Parts: sequence; C-alpha cells; structure tokens
Amino acid sequence: MRVDIELGINGSRSRFAVEPDERLVSTLRDRAGLTGTKQGCKIGECGACSVIMDGKLVPSCLVLSASADGADLLTVEGVAQDGNLSDLQQAFVAEGAIQCGYCTPGMLLAGEYLLSRYQRPDTAQIKEAIAGNLCRCTGYTKIVAAIRKTAKKRSLVKSSAQGR
Amino acid sequence: MLRILRLPALDQVIEILSAQESETLLMAGGTDILPRPAALASTRLLIDLSQVAELQGIALDAEGRIRIGAAVTHQEIVDHPLIQRKAQLLSMACSSIGSVQIRNLGTIGGNLANASPAADSLPALVCLAAEVALASPRGIRFLPVSAFILGPGRTARAADELIESVRIPVVTGRRVAFFKKAGQRRGMCCAKASVAMCAHRHGDGRLTKPRVAMGAVAATVISVPAAERVLADRVLTMAVIEEAAAACCEAAQAIDDIRSTASYRRHVVGALLTEGLAEIYDHMQDLARRQARRRRRRS
Ligand SMILES: Cc1cc2nc3c(=O)[nH]c(=O)nc-3n(C[C@H](O)[C@H](O)[C@H](O)COP(=O)(O)OP(=O)(O)OC[C@H]3O[C@@H](n4cnc5c(N)ncnc54)[C@H](O)[C@@H]3O)c2cc1C
Ligand code: FES
Ligand code: FES
Repeated sequence: MRVDIELGINGSRSRFAVEPDERLVSTLRDRAGLTGTKQGCKIGECGACSVIMDGKLVPSCLVLSASADGADLLTVEGVAQDGNLSDLQQAFVAEGAIQCGYCTPGMLLAGEYLLSRYQRPDTAQIKEAIAGNLCRCTGYTKIVAAIRKTAKKRSLVKSSAQGR
Repeated sequence: MLRILRLPALDQVIEILSAQESETLLMAGGTDILPRPAALASTRLLIDLSQVAELQGIALDAEGRIRIGAAVTHQEIVDHPLIQRKAQLLSMACSSIGSVQIRNLGTIGGNLANASPAADSLPALVCLAAEVALASPRGIRFLPVSAFILGPGRTARAADELIESVRIPVVTGRRVAFFKKAGQRRGMCCAKASVAMCAHRHGDGRLTKPRVAMGAVAATVISVPAAERVLADRVLTMAVIEEAAAACCEAAQAIDDIRSTASYRRHVVGALLTEGLAEIYDHMQDLARRQARRRRRRS
C-alpha cells in the first residue's frame, strides 16, 4: 500500500506515492530524478545523502519519506542559482576541495547549514560541522578552507551592506 | 504489510498502544531503528512520534523542574539556553552524540528507550537525578533513570507506555560539570567508555554533592558512589583526583567486545575522570587567583 506525500523540493512542490518503508534518499533519486544526493552507507555514518529538511541538516537515508510528508527540502540541485554556481560551490572548485566528488553534495549542504547557524565559524566549528561527512579523497583541509573562505566573504558582504 | 501513522496528539498514541496490537513499533528520530538491517521487516504498524505536540519543547514544569519532551532532539538540547544554564552537563553529553545530522534527528526519548549501555545522555541524566515520565491510559508515572534502565536494550517501560518527557530538578548555586568520552575518533562514534560528573563548587576549593556516573563499562549506566565519597566535602587536589580515579577503575565492570577490551575500559575511565577533574581544578585555581587579585586591589 503506497503512501501519498507532498514534498517541497528546492522551492517547488510535488506529490509522490511512496512505499511505507521508503527512505527519502530513494524518493529523491528514483522518483524525483534528483541524483545529486548520493547514497553511501545507508546507516547514517557517511553523510553523502545529507539534505536540509525544514532548515535542518539530516541524513536522507535515515528519514522515511512518509515521515517527511509536507517538508521543505534543499538538495544540492537547489544550491546553484539560475545555473550559476553558488559562492560556496565556487570556493570548493577554487580550493581544490573536490576530487571524485562523491562526498561533495553532502559537504556543500553541511557547509550551507553551518553558515546558516554561524556567521564567522572558527576552524574547530567548521571541522565539527563536517564531522558527519566522510571524504576519502581530499584529506578535508581544502574543504575546511573553502568553507572558511566563503564564511569570510559572506560576512564582508554583509558588513559592507550594513555600513552603507 | 507495513502501515505508518504520524500522529499529532499524545492521547491518540496512548489509545493505539493500549489496543495492544502486536508488531507495533514506536519511532521518534529513527536513528537507532532505521540503520538496522531489515529494520521494519517484522513491523506491521509504525507510529511516528516526531510530530506529537505533547512530546516537544523544553521548559520548566509546574514543580519547577526542567521538562524535556521525549521527541526533543539532541541538537535542540545542545542549543537551548535553559539547558546551558541549568543542566550544562546534559548539553555537554548530547553535543558528543554522532554528528550534527544525527543530533538533528535523534531524540532524548529514543536514547533512553533504546537503553544502549553506551548511550551518551544516560550518565549525564543519572548525575542530574533526572526522572523519566511514562504516559499510559493510567496517567503519568515517574521513574529515576537508574530504575528505568534495566539492562542492554531493556527498560521498565510497559507495553502500553511511552516516554512522555524527562524531568530534571533545578539546583541553584555554583556548579561544575564535565562529560568525557573515549571513542575511536572524536566525531560520529559510540563510546568505548564515558564518564560524567557534576558537583557544587565552593569558594574555599571544596566540592559538595558530587555525582559521578559511567557509560559503556557495565550492562547499564552506573553511578560510582565510591568516587563520590572520595570527592565529597574535600578540597580538590591532585591526590584527591588520583583517589577518585582509582575508585572509577575499581567500579568498572567492563567487558571485551568489538569496540574495546575490558582492561582498556577499566584503565580509561580513570583517565577520563582525571582529565575532567584536572580541568575543573585548573578552573578553580584560576577563579581563586582572580579573587585574590580583586581583594588585594580593594585593600
Ligand atoms: C551514525 C550514528 C551515530 C550515533 N552516535 C551516537 C552517539 O555518539 N551516542 C549515542 O548515545 N547514540 C548514538 N547513536 C544512536 C542514536 O542516534 C541515539 O540513541 C538516539 O538518541 C536515538 O533516538 P531516535 O529518536 O532516533 O530513536 P528511534 O530510532 O526513533 O527509536 C529508538 C528506540 O526507542 C523507542 N522510542 C523512541 N521514542 C520513544 C518514546 N517516546 N517512548 C518509548 N519508546 C520510544 C523506539 O521504539 C526504539 O525502540 C548514533 C546513531 C547513528 C545512526
Ligand atoms: S548514505 Fe546516508 S549517511 Fe551514508
Ligand atoms: S572528493 Fe572523493 S570522497 Fe570526497
């Protein structure tokens, strides 16, 4: 017996008929066709499947789609604006924070979530924010640098806007 | 055939639980249930508690205790000003759970009901003399955490009961607290052993009413009265710290398992207590120095 749910994904709402034990990561990838969200471990350990649900970073492999009925989601497909990479995405590219790219969608959302909570996170806070996201390629240093650089840029933009 | 009910009100949950249908499972954040292989294979009715209004929120109850709704997440606890001010030990313990993703889903009620010997909120809750509120058609009953947890995965919850909230008595005065956890790495891992401590701090360097509890070194969370006796009403010194650490090692009923060995666990609880108390010792020395300076300036 399928369950009818509605999800707001990256600003547009859609309806899906899902299996009762279906995980949100499967609904996003297989029903909505949004394969940017990756599935790694399926047990909440790797962070590849991270999405922002109602403002909170969650592993979409540990959310039942039926439990997400009505939620607003941000996936990596919603991070770029009008086809332009976001400042955080550009910083990942510039810093060399991407190698195979499998962890990147989850890392970007973990970064966005951190920056939604703290304007100028320190290195310890950045490391803590991505502690749930495994990367087997980059060694993390460049990911931390990309997030730090973006935080600095955003807070400069914000303070100059306030100064005017 | 699996059915999911996402209920908005506590009395609806209680009504369904009291019908005693078999293969009914309660779920809050799902972070313990869903990673298991074939997680919902034998479940016919899954009750999603995450939207139940009565299970939300952190506030003072009618008796002046802190009430934390069972479906409150670990991250909400970490971020809440009332917890930071009045139950800092719990905020420290919850901040060590999993990753921010896991803390955004996992709940205090789930951590209690799951009753893992390594559950990180439990040593803190025991030190803070917290009580579990259980709701059923018979009303609400309260049990101290140490009476609620019976063994690994075993609790005193009856089949028709659910955890409604956790209540923590508020204590006034100057307090010190720490939560220390030994794991494979800092983020995202289960404790090989953990130690929680809180006490009242006095201007003369004494600690009173100390509470010490340990996780992952016995079938359940255990408090350590022997270490509490060592610390009570004494000025904290390195010798006192050593004595209390020895009492923790002595009290650990540790076992070998995939995460660690018994001998490492026995050793590490002493080291964790020493580390935490040494920080408190430094903090108190700092305070004393600052006070002395202020007094000198005044005279
Ligand atoms: C990657 C990962 C890392 C983790 N790291 C840690 C860690 O560092 N420390 C730690 O302590 N835990 C850790 N956990 C375990 C888990 O996140 C916690 O135990 C969490 O608190 C469980 O809460 P939940 O709401 O997700 O529980 P659920 O999975 O929803 O439920 C767990 C159990 O509690 C029952 N239950 C839930 N709510 C109630 C209620 N109100 N009344 C009665 N029964 C109820 C359920 O029926 C089930 O048996 C980790 C888990 C994962 C996946
Ligand atoms: S796939 Fe969800 S955390 Fe690994
Ligand atoms: S870039 Fe390959 S896993 Fe991170």
